[in-house]
Amino acid sequence: MTARLRRLSLALAALLADRGAAISLAFLVVVTLLAAGAGWLPMDAMRQDILKALEPPSAAHWFGTDELGRDILARVILGARTSLQTAAGAVAIAAVVGIPMGLVAGYFGGWRDTVLMRFVDVLLALPGILFAMAIIAVLGRSQMAALIAVGITGVPNFARITRAQVLSLRSRDFVTAVEAFGASSGYAMARTILPNAWSPIMVQAIVLASLAILLEAALAFLGIGVPPPTPSWGEMLRTGKNYLHEAPHYAVLPGIALTLTILSFDTLGRAMSRVLEDRHGQAMPAGDRQEEGR
Amino acid sequence: MSAPVLSVRGLEVDFAGSGRPVPVIRGVDLDVHPNEILCIVGESGSGKSVTALAATGLLPPTARVRGRVVLDGTDVTGAPPEVLRRLRGEAVGFIFQDPTTTLNPVLPVGRQITEGQVAHGRLRQADAPARAAELLGEVEIADPEGRARQYPHQFSGGMRQRAVIAMAMAGRPRLIIADEPTTALDVTVQAQVLDLLRRRQAETGAAIVLITHDLGVVAEVADRVAVMYGGRIVETGPVDALFARPRHPYTTALLESLPRLDTRGGRLDPIPGQPPLPGALPAGCSFHPRCRLAAGRPRCAAEEPALRPVGAAAAGQAAACHFAEENPRPKPPATVAEAAASAAAAAPLLQIEGLKVHFPLRSRVLRLTRGHVRAVDGVSLTVRAGETVSLVGESGCGKTTTGRAVMGLVPVTGGDIRFEGRSVVGLRRLAMRGVRRHMQYVFQDPFSSLNPVLPVEDVVAEPLRIHGLYDSFGGARYIARLFEMVGLSPTMFGRYPREFSGGQKQRIGIARALALKPRLVILDEPVAALDVSIQAQILNLLQDLQRELGLGYLFIAHNLSVVRQISDRVAVMYLGRVVEESDSDTLYEAPAHPYTQSLLSAVPVPEPAGRTGRGRIVLTGEIPNPAAPPGGCTFHPRCFRATDRCRAEAPAFRPHPGLPSRVACHHAGPPGTGASAERTEEAAP
Amino acid sequence: MIGYILRRLVQLVPVLLLASVAIWGMVYAVPGGPVGVIVGENASVEQIAAVRAQLGLDRPIHVQYLDWLLRAVQGDFGASIHSRRPVMELIEQRLPASFQLGLAATVVSLAVGVPVAIISAMYPGSWIDRSLSAWNALALGVPTFWLGILLILFFAVQLRWLPAISTHVPFWENPFGALRNLALPAVTLGLYVSGIFARFLRASIVSELGSDYVRTARAKGLPERQILLGHVMRNALLPFITIVGLSLANFIGGAVVTEAVFTYPGIARLLINAISQRDYPLIQGCIVVILVVYVFVNLVVDILYAYADPRIEYR
Repeated sequence: MTARLRRLSLALAALLADRGAAISLAFLVVVTLLAAGAGWLPMDAMRQDILKALEPPSAAHWFGTDELGRDILARVILGARTSLQTAAGAVAIAAVVGIPMGLVAGYFGGWRDTVLMRFVDVLLALPGILFAMAIIAVLGRSQMAALIAVGITGVPNFARITRAQVLSLRSRDFVTAVEAFGASSGYAMARTILPNAWSPIMVQAIVLASLAILLEAALAFLGIGVPPPTPSWGEMLRTGKNYLHEAPHYAVLPGIALTLTILSFDTLGRAMSRVLEDRHGQAMPAGDRQEEGR
Repeated sequence: MSAPVLSVRGLEVDFAGSGRPVPVIRGVDLDVHPNEILCIVGESGSGKSVTALAATGLLPPTARVRGRVVLDGTDVTGAPPEVLRRLRGEAVGFIFQDPTTTLNPVLPVGRQITEGQVAHGRLRQADAPARAAELLGEVEIADPEGRARQYPHQFSGGMRQRAVIAMAMAGRPRLIIADEPTTALDVTVQAQVLDLLRRRQAETGAAIVLITHDLGVVAEVADRVAVMYGGRIVETGPVDALFARPRHPYTTALLESLPRLDTRGGRLDPIPGQPPLPGALPAGCSFHPRCRLAAGRPRCAAEEPALRPVGAAAAGQAAACHFAEENPRPKPPATVAEAAASAAAAAPLLQIEGLKVHFPLRSRVLRLTRGHVRAVDGVSLTVRAGETVSLVGESGCGKTTTGRAVMGLVPVTGGDIRFEGRSVVGLRRLAMRGVRRHMQYVFQDPFSSLNPVLPVEDVVAEPLRIHGLYDSFGGARYIARLFEMVGLSPTMFGRYPREFSGGQKQRIGIARALALKPRLVILDEPVAALDVSIQAQILNLLQDLQRELGLGYLFIAHNLSVVRQISDRVAVMYLGRVVEESDSDTLYEAPAHPYTQSLLSAVPVPEPAGRTGRGRIVLTGEIPNPAAPPGGCTFHPRCFRATDRCRAEAPAFRPHPGLPSRVACHHAGPPGTGASAERTEEAAP
Repeated sequence: MIGYILRRLVQLVPVLLLASVAIWGMVYAVPGGPVGVIVGENASVEQIAAVRAQLGLDRPIHVQYLDWLLRAVQGDFGASIHSRRPVMELIEQRLPASFQLGLAATVVSLAVGVPVAIISAMYPGSWIDRSLSAWNALALGVPTFWLGILLILFFAVQLRWLPAISTHVPFWENPFGALRNLALPAVTLGLYVSGIFARFLRASIVSELGSDYVRTARAKGLPERQILLGHVMRNALLPFITIVGLSLANFIGGAVVTEAVFTYPGIARLLINAISQRDYPLIQGCIVVILVVYVFVNLVVDILYAYADPRIEYR
């Protein structure tokens, strides 16, 4: 176990040696802490003060106020909570559904592969945002609907990356070896293949988190995401867009928070995949592979 | 003697990675003259390939090169890129190891052959197609005009390497650098390609620097040899002298550790330890920790010896050893009269009868079966306790599939496999699991057969855990015993596979295979990925373990010398069938099937003396597609004894009169007898 | 070649069928089902029965589906609940605008993405590579709608050069007006997709540069430019063709948001409105049309790929 901890801390050290990754991680930690501790902060995201609507940034309101005179900074911080919650839930849904799909499809091949991958093809045949919109059209507008919609659009990512990993690991001798010892297919999948596939799957999870935040914000921007009064970045941009002349800060500042969060996840994900490539001395298998008879 | 084409003085190369620079070449001097073949031989990490790349400025920018390299009168070191570029197109041609990746997959072969010359303005675009066809014709490719328009994937492996040779020859270069040009090829194709290379060299008078790990190839083609170790040339000299009377203890040890086709040895004499990594070279002479002569002498550990002439001046040999004069002649390969003992009497452990494994070829769209690849198409074999039976053949002959079918890893199409008298074909998973306890498998590639995320202790213990026997077999103490049995220290328990060298990994793989106390071990090319000196260690270990534990081995390999070293019985496979089977001595000394004969004659022998007199059967063509095997005898299109009968009728596999062999051939018989009236240098097409 | 295309078409059938079941079944998953969709929640029993009969909901379920599918294949998705006009008519009005935006954005994305990829792949690890990579990360990370807002803020609100709200002006009728209206949305959408293109193409070129045939080409003494253009790009562009096809999904996704930012009259905005009005026939129609375009473009891409890669035989 200590050996594993050592490996983990080594990987983390290698990751933090990358300046971009270190900054991104620090930023995400700060955002997460703020979002978690939003209740203890001195600003109130809900208190309206119509007389002070659309004020530019000031000492009292660092990010200014919105059309109802609410403090934008406080709403941005609460928006982070919405954003991160939705992203975490969505990634979890995508992983829980997608990883087993990819495992089974890649390991057994044959009709299971055909059926599961056709299903993934259908999910992919619609652009993610349209798919999410269709799901919301059915479920109605709520935070849970947004979470499920974003989560389902992420299923193909996990299913494909897992399947690609399984396919490349499947033919490796150490998998054949445990089969030769008489291990069950469950053992081979869960104990031998999956532990070797974790790293690229983790990278995928991070990348997907950035996509989920983007998608959640886009849905809110279109007016079909997390419904008001829950603050969300996308919703703030949607409203702020109506006051570009009067209060340009309204549409700009929440966008900065959103963009930095997305960029941080993206940078972190790419740095992770670079570190893994260096450690394994090879590019990670990216695409699917045709398996012929042998 | 004329001026050298390539002259290297004091070459040093460091690779500056992320850490401190790693010295890969540490002072190399060499000259190559026109019309000469210089072979650079060495194990992995010796720096042989880097030397050749450095000599032509092809190293990546992370490499720091010092020293002086004069190529065709031009100083290469420090030359501007444009000069180097011209030089490469005009003075030097290259042949690389893997012909599948050397050629660009999306460009026609002909264009790739001539584009260098066109780019240098030495060939007009309009003349290029004709010239490409001419060059392809010179490397004996049929229908050169048509072939020039084809893409690499339409060529077989041997043809691709011919095309690469044509490409290297396109500018009529004075020097050709060939980096392991036949390592990726089958032995019969290797013979064709080496033969072609030598003839083209003689016709053009070019010099060749051939880099290889195979002493047999060296003995076949070299005029002069340079042996590299730890980034330096440790010995150099004319090929005859160097093989007959090596002056460096490493050369001697290398020759002694080599399994040989021409002699049946008892035990090999391996070099202890492993080749050093360039980043962690021993002080003093880098060979001293493994050297017989060093034996604790302080000078070897303190002072790096210079390369100096040794022996008669006329011999032209030089060695980098303080005590080169003491270096003994290599021991003549020992021929141990084998006490062909108990094996035959023991009850059969494994019986394979008429085994067939056909893989369906499915269409991509509707997954309809369009045909079958007959990977294994009638194999019969018996392995007894304490006996080694080898399956030998070229790539795609079905030997590995046979092994996997025995383990129940691929479905069997027909025939029977019996383990200790019980059929294992079609057993359900749990029943098969019981059988698998007694049959284990050792894989070819030690780099991919160990789970990289498990510590090696768990790797070895995994079979026990799967069978729920870890505690009853004695837990960690038992694993420690297994480690010691294969020559590893239990102190290595917590380490991960990637911290081990190839040889050590293969030892771990063997320990894992032995964990369940099997009676039969299937060894699939267990030494193919290892350096020569390590190969001998593993072969000895396998022989020791067999004697101690009374194991039966099914040994799968393509290397005929290794097979001879370890086998009691040998079966030769071609296109899914066993074509000849016999005891080892008979098969090697009196082969009856023409394929066995040509296979044996294609193996390069590390004995330069008499290489010209050796009557060699060079097969034409390559192994056909097993999805569409030729009718009749599947070997007939390449066979020098083929008659109409062979084309029509598949021969039965039956005992050959006068020999303890079984052969599948209408015209079986010793070389030069029977129907083979025309014993030829070149086989009929 | 014909056989290859036919085979690809056959392969599409199960995907399209599955998708059509999902799209058709969507209405049944809505609370209240297809009737509730039309009559609303407070309908009388008679109303419900009338609509049920009118929609043929009393028929067996597979008959209903086959009937829907048969009409959908002919482009008949029924009438919009909101405007009562045929769905296909509404869609046809919007398609030209969407195609024009898509085309303009494609031009932008290729014009930016391909040079960025080639330049940064030629000098991997250099400052120019790093700054272009950072540029790519921005192109990908900055949400399209926020970029759109920033562009409007700068070019429309501050400089007053371009309109904040883009309308559809057919290019062949008024090229200048079309460009004026397209500039901001096309840049917004194109930059995002250019990030995808550049990132992928760069990785592809870098990996090809490390392959053996490049070493061979250097050993032949070919000039670096010829190695890059004659050898590397041919191999790197092959998978890139596929990426261009697949990124159509990103294109459409980006277009949804872009059309919303610039209130551009494309099909995506039609769909957004349909969703907020719960106009299910219109939602179904839009999704089917987008899906068909997507599948068709990817089919063309696959055929191009097969044509460009000598290793694929059209057996």
